[in-house]
Amino acid sequence: MKRRTFLQLSGMTAAGAVLAGCQSQNEKLIPYLVPPDEGVTPGKADYYASSCRFCPAGCGILVRVSEGRAKKIEGNPAHPVNRGKLCARGQAVLQELYHPDRVPQPLKRSGPRGSGQFTRISWQEGLALLTGSLKELQREKAADRLALVTPQLRGTLAELTTSFMGAFGSPHHLSFELLGMDWLRTANRRSFGQASLPFYDLAETRYLLSFGADFVEYHLSPVQYGYAFGRMRQGRDTVRGHFTYVGGRMSLTGASADRWLPARPGSEGTLALGLARLILVESLFDAGSLTANGLRAETLLHTLEGYDLSRVAEKTGLTHKAISEVAREFATTRPALAMAGESVAFQTNGPESVRAIQLLNLLVGNLNRPGGVYPDGGSMAGAENSFTELLSLVAAMRGDRIRVALVHGDPVHAIPPASGFQEALARVPFIVSFSSLIDDTALQADLILPDHAALESWGDAIPLAGARQAAVGLMQPVVTPLFDTRQFPEVLLATARELGGKTAAALPHQSYPEMLQGWMRKRVGRMAGQDFEALWVDLLRQGGLFETKPGQGKGYRWVPGAPLPAPEAPRFAGDEREFPLHLQVYPSTPLYDGRGAPLPWLQQLPDPMTTVVWDSWVEINPRTAADLGIGFGDLVEVTSPQGALRLPAVIYPGIRPDMVAIPMGQGQRGGGRYAKGRGVNPLALLAATIEGKDPQPAWNATRVRVSRISGKGDLVTAGHPQGSYRSELIGI
Amino acid sequence: MSNRKETIMEKMTSPYKWGMVIDLDRCTGCGACVVACQAENNVAICEKKEISEGRNMQWLRIERFWVGEYPDVRVRFLPVLCQHCHDAPCEPVCPVYASYHNPDGLNGQVYNRCVGTRYCANNCPYAVRVFNFYSHEWPKPLDNQLSPDITVRSRGVMEKCTFCVQRIRRAKEEATGEGRLVHDGEVQPACAQTCPAEALVFGNLADPQSRVARLSRSPRRFKLLEHLGTHPSVYYLKGGGREHV
Amino acid sequence: MSEPTLSAAKSAGQLNDELLSSLRPPTRRWYLLAFCLGAVVAWGLAAFIWQLTHGMYVTGKNRPVMWGFYITGFVFWVGLSHSGTMVSSILRLSQANWRRPILRAAEAMTVFCITVAGLFPLIHLGRNWTFFYMIPYPNQRGLWPNFRSPLLWDMTAITAYIIGSTLFLYLGLLPDLAVVRDRSVGWRHKVYAVLAMGWRGSAHEWSVYHKASTLMAALIIPVAVSVHSIVAWDFAVTVVPGWHSTIFPPYFVIGAILSGVAAVITLMIIIRRAFHLEEYLTPLHFDNMGKLLLVISLLWTYAYFVEVQTTWYAHEPIEWEVFSFMADRYTIPLLVMLAGNSLLPITAMCFKRLRRSIGMMLAVSLLVNVAMFIERFLIIVPSLSHKNMPFAWGSYTPSWVEISVNIAALAGFALLYTLFAKFFPIVALSDVRELEARKAGVPLGRVRVPSITGEE
Ligand SMILES: Nc1nc2c(c(=O)[nH]1)N[C@H]1C(S)=C(S)[C@@H](COP(=O)(O)OP(=O)(O)OC[C@H]3O[C@@H](n4cnc5c(=O)[nH]c(N)nc54)[C@H](O)[C@@H]3O)O[C@H]1N2
Ligand code: SF4
Ligand code: SF4
Ligand code: SF4
Ligand code: SF4
Ligand code: SF4
Repeated sequence: MKRRTFLQLSGMTAAGAVLAGCQSQNEKLIPYLVPPDEGVTPGKADYYASSCRFCPAGCGILVRVSEGRAKKIEGNPAHPVNRGKLCARGQAVLQELYHPDRVPQPLKRSGPRGSGQFTRISWQEGLALLTGSLKELQREKAADRLALVTPQLRGTLAELTTSFMGAFGSPHHLSFELLGMDWLRTANRRSFGQASLPFYDLAETRYLLSFGADFVEYHLSPVQYGYAFGRMRQGRDTVRGHFTYVGGRMSLTGASADRWLPARPGSEGTLALGLARLILVESLFDAGSLTANGLRAETLLHTLEGYDLSRVAEKTGLTHKAISEVAREFATTRPALAMAGESVAFQTNGPESVRAIQLLNLLVGNLNRPGGVYPDGGSMAGAENSFTELLSLVAAMRGDRIRVALVHGDPVHAIPPASGFQEALARVPFIVSFSSLIDDTALQADLILPDHAALESWGDAIPLAGARQAAVGLMQPVVTPLFDTRQFPEVLLATARELGGKTAAALPHQSYPEMLQGWMRKRVGRMAGQDFEALWVDLLRQGGLFETKPGQGKGYRWVPGAPLPAPEAPRFAGDEREFPLHLQVYPSTPLYDGRGAPLPWLQQLPDPMTTVVWDSWVEINPRTAADLGIGFGDLVEVTSPQGALRLPAVIYPGIRPDMVAIPMGQGQRGGGRYAKGRGVNPLALLAATIEGKDPQPAWNATRVRVSRISGKGDLVTAGHPQGSYRSELIGI
Repeated sequence: MSNRKETIMEKMTSPYKWGMVIDLDRCTGCGACVVACQAENNVAICEKKEISEGRNMQWLRIERFWVGEYPDVRVRFLPVLCQHCHDAPCEPVCPVYASYHNPDGLNGQVYNRCVGTRYCANNCPYAVRVFNFYSHEWPKPLDNQLSPDITVRSRGVMEKCTFCVQRIRRAKEEATGEGRLVHDGEVQPACAQTCPAEALVFGNLADPQSRVARLSRSPRRFKLLEHLGTHPSVYYLKGGGREHV
Repeated sequence: MSEPTLSAAKSAGQLNDELLSSLRPPTRRWYLLAFCLGAVVAWGLAAFIWQLTHGMYVTGKNRPVMWGFYITGFVFWVGLSHSGTMVSSILRLSQANWRRPILRAAEAMTVFCITVAGLFPLIHLGRNWTFFYMIPYPNQRGLWPNFRSPLLWDMTAITAYIIGSTLFLYLGLLPDLAVVRDRSVGWRHKVYAVLAMGWRGSAHEWSVYHKASTLMAALIIPVAVSVHSIVAWDFAVTVVPGWHSTIFPPYFVIGAILSGVAAVITLMIIIRRAFHLEEYLTPLHFDNMGKLLLVISLLWTYAYFVEVQTTWYAHEPIEWEVFSFMADRYTIPLLVMLAGNSLLPITAMCFKRLRRSIGMMLAVSLLVNVAMFIERFLIIVPSLSHKNMPFAWGSYTPSWVEISVNIAALAGFALLYTLFAKFFPIVALSDVRELEARKAGVPLGRVRVPSITGEE
């Protein structure tokens, strides 16, 4: 008998003896000791398949519903992108549905803009106001005075909005996201002649070289790549994939790397070409791949003359040893994979650096190969210069050429003020917001027509670069709407009907679900023949249409005569002497670009790298902090040419001494009780360094200076600041 | 009497010994499991103040350790939940059997027995027991998210990871309904279910063929604070060949 | 030990008047004192009710420091309760006659200390209203308390100690109650009559009485020792670094006796002052107590040294971490503790002059107990703050609620004492008179023989 059992029994027999005389009472006692229900009554629940559109990855979800309430969101195992897994944000979407501060019905502004004073109105009245303003534009032949601002949409919503604006006759449809993938599409078009996004076969690769591609937090398809990363490490019996991370700040992704190369910001492209040159010099490249892509080693080597080891080492601030080792490892451990990420792309030399990194994949011959990089099966095309569109819309609004702006999402918080968007939007006479919380944009709006929560909505979610095969996720309402809200597309359709004429003709659908069905019917055309109604039910049940065969898109091939990547020297806003530190603004792991901030689960989730909760912070290298007399949690002021912010400091061993970093997401004026007035919005610091003819976002090219204000940073971390350095005590 | 005896023997010797393997080489520290646990188990939402006082209620935490100095600095992530020790220090010290061992090898917690001495939490070497210092609320309509399967713990009681016992119970009820044992992988706690990297593997250690049992025999395995002899049901797998500084 | 020498044997009447002076109708000053104490207790009660209605968050406790000032108070008062047992038993058995005046006071002290101590475990419960779950009685939960839990051992030991020490006190009180009975009138007379249980003071009664009290004295010592060993087990049987230590039981007992002896010295000084017993409690007795204090303090120092030395020598990482954290975060308290429990007593008590200086003795005895409270705190809190998982380390600062409750406990103790002294003879009257009587021998031929037999 095990010691525990013995003790259990003895303990209880002792009791038993007292309880009822001498004879052992174990039979009586154990059922009591081990109660029939440990405070648990497992009930039967229903599961509804839907999709997560919290970020562009578009994972499939199953929602557990009991008693008509959504209780828990789980991953949809049938979905090719996330395979039953979910990220923290996907789990928390439930709280978007049950958020205590949701806009219960349409609102009309009653106080000055930003005051947050609104009066409740009926949908009838709300829609009347909207259509009224649009009819007015039509009457005055000023249809082009209408602007529609949305995040980057795909699928039915893209079609709907495009045809609506088209039919109405306004060119001002801005579909913009700070973290949009335009840069990657642009680079791909320049190098490979196609704007498709890459699908990296991480799971099968043996050597991963990530240039600031933070696929664990947010890059492209976090859950997909998190899954693949696990497989790369321990999914194969004999092979353990090696991982080297390049970037001035050790991101959450970088934290899992075996080797960290803290290259100077903006020098990543140079490093890539330096590696390429070494690989060519030591002729470790894949000759077949070069010929297949119509490139010759000699010409390459000739063009890369300038990138000799010592110069690259000097530019990147890395050691000769590290660079040459990585070059050899990368070239000799096949298949090896190079990824480029946002922190590289948002430099002034971003696109060229990204192309330089792609060249590495070509050199070691893993284009369209297992363990290499394929064109993504899902979204072949997409926005490539939405930043230009942003600037032209800003110009239009500045020039008072916009009279009505329909805004979906929260651009007021999520677009850097340096772009001029906020003050330009303020000049628009009539702003309509569709937010379901009174967020920063809704605060500026004259009319709020609240959208459904995701779990109350119909829709489609086309995953972004999450699989080689095409997939369309479906969204269906899992609960009856809590409030008197309406889905954004329904509102557009209703408005179109009301407007009549061309617009109505362009959008003939009676309801959004009907449009969605029709759209799906077209997509499954191939599988047609069987009765669609039945198929539709199946699709809803399994969560969407998931093809099994890889997408038809042709593989990557170097465009003949395409210029070789030549990243020029990076430029930065702010004079080096006045602003000695590089600023990196990165998407918060729990809060993403800020849309996670209203959800308490995500605010409470300790940031993985700093374990900070419910706040913003600036990460500073211990040495730099010591020089500036800054201690852990001190209140500091970060000043850039664009502005200044006050926030607590976190001493962060994983960042270059000449760099500081601040996460996005906080600093909202609205966004409900959990987000309101919490932390700071670092976008306010970013200067718009806009280059030459084709303007481009360079959000990582701002310099700052940091100074200590006081010891009262009011910083709260889940982990003990000193204990976090004592892993030896538990032997890990 | 005789059939009563059988049920007792079943209670004493169960075909299940639930356990978990946590592969530190897979774990990326993403935190999805933490939110999943909070969502599944009606774990209270804690404001900044509450956490600053060291009263966070999360049942699962990802410990983050810094090793070395710039530029040779490394980060180690360590997901820590109740280890469901087979010789659990938290159990003998509880005066009212609120913390007890169930035959499946789970360290159970009976909330309505707990009088709140907090002795168990002192004696839990892994510091995974959280105490309801506050009486927590879910402002309407946020309370709709509360799962009816599990009680909402009141102020003054101890709570902690249960290995999602409600899921285990459901699986066992279904299995017994069909007169069989629970299949490997049939029941998954919320954290393991959502972990993108599949760093968390849950299952029946009593079944030598189960995935968790096989992984628990890996040469990389170790147990947290093994020297204390708590015999945890949670095995960790060392962080692979990650360079150690 | 040498007998106290009196100028002239006092008459019984004289003695009664002097020693029962405390029973005279309360003065304004007494009311004032009682009121102040009562006010402090009321404040503590209010603080507790605040905690009861709001939740444990009003204390400074957190994860990982789940125990704080309450358990500190608990251990401290249990320790203090050893005073009575100390003198009463040890001095009784060793027949130190000068013990007689302070006997009663010391025994009463035990009863009140342990009563106060017993409150803390209830106060610190997260759900105080369910305290009865821990009491073994047939209940709807069909479940007995967990007899493997040291908290159950605590309950048992403390209950036993309360009962034991109360009996001890009552037994010693019997003859005096009779005296008071005979001197009182009206309802008081009735009450005392009942309490005196018809004591007549016959020779037979006396011999039985002596046997009983000697027996009690012998019996109460193991109880006292066991009580504090069990309290030590609350910590020793855990796996908390700094708690899990085999030396804890003896170490705790020694600590308890140290604070007990100190408390008795304080008491001696107060009684001596209050009842003008300068002739009874001469510097000689303080000298003796000083020597005792010196020995115990040396023992304590030894035990503490052994504890620290093993930690240091073994250098088990986490244990050493706990120790260094304590030395770093609580430097001042640590020094005060070492000074008060070891340095000061040992150095001062080495000198006869200091041992016989009442002022010095008062200072030392008070400081010892302040230091003892700190010692309990430093055992409990630092270990919990830096337990095995570094990431989950924390710290602790007591809240106003905890502090209030602890102060109220002290006031409550004092209040009980004041009331007791008002209604019962606080000085063991009959004991003292027995001594006197023994002196007044009767002439028998050429020799004087004691008028009555002693306990020889
Ligand atoms: N329309 C209609 N109305 C009816 C009837 C009908 O047939 N039709 N039937 C009538 C009859 S006969 C009855 S008995 C009543 C029943 O009506 P109710 O008494 O309301 O019974 P339920 O609605 O089934 O369950 C009540 C709540 O208990 C919760 N619950 C489940 N398990 C637990 C638990 O362990 N603890 C706690 N605290 N809550 C738990 C459930 O989630 C549910 O929210 O309805 C009456 N009303
Ligand atoms: S990755 Fe994006 S889409 Fe997938 S679950 Fe997380 S938030 Fe939702
Ligand atoms: S979800 Fe998995 S990978 Fe992410 S932190 Fe938890 S255990 Fe690690
Ligand atoms: S980990 Fe802690 S709470 Fe869990 S069983 Fe072990 S001792 Fe008990
Ligand atoms: S806090 Fe509750 S569970 Fe823990 S020991 Fe006390 S009564 Fe038992
Ligand atoms: S097993 Fe269940 S209860 Fe335990 S940490 Fe995972 S999700 Fe939470």
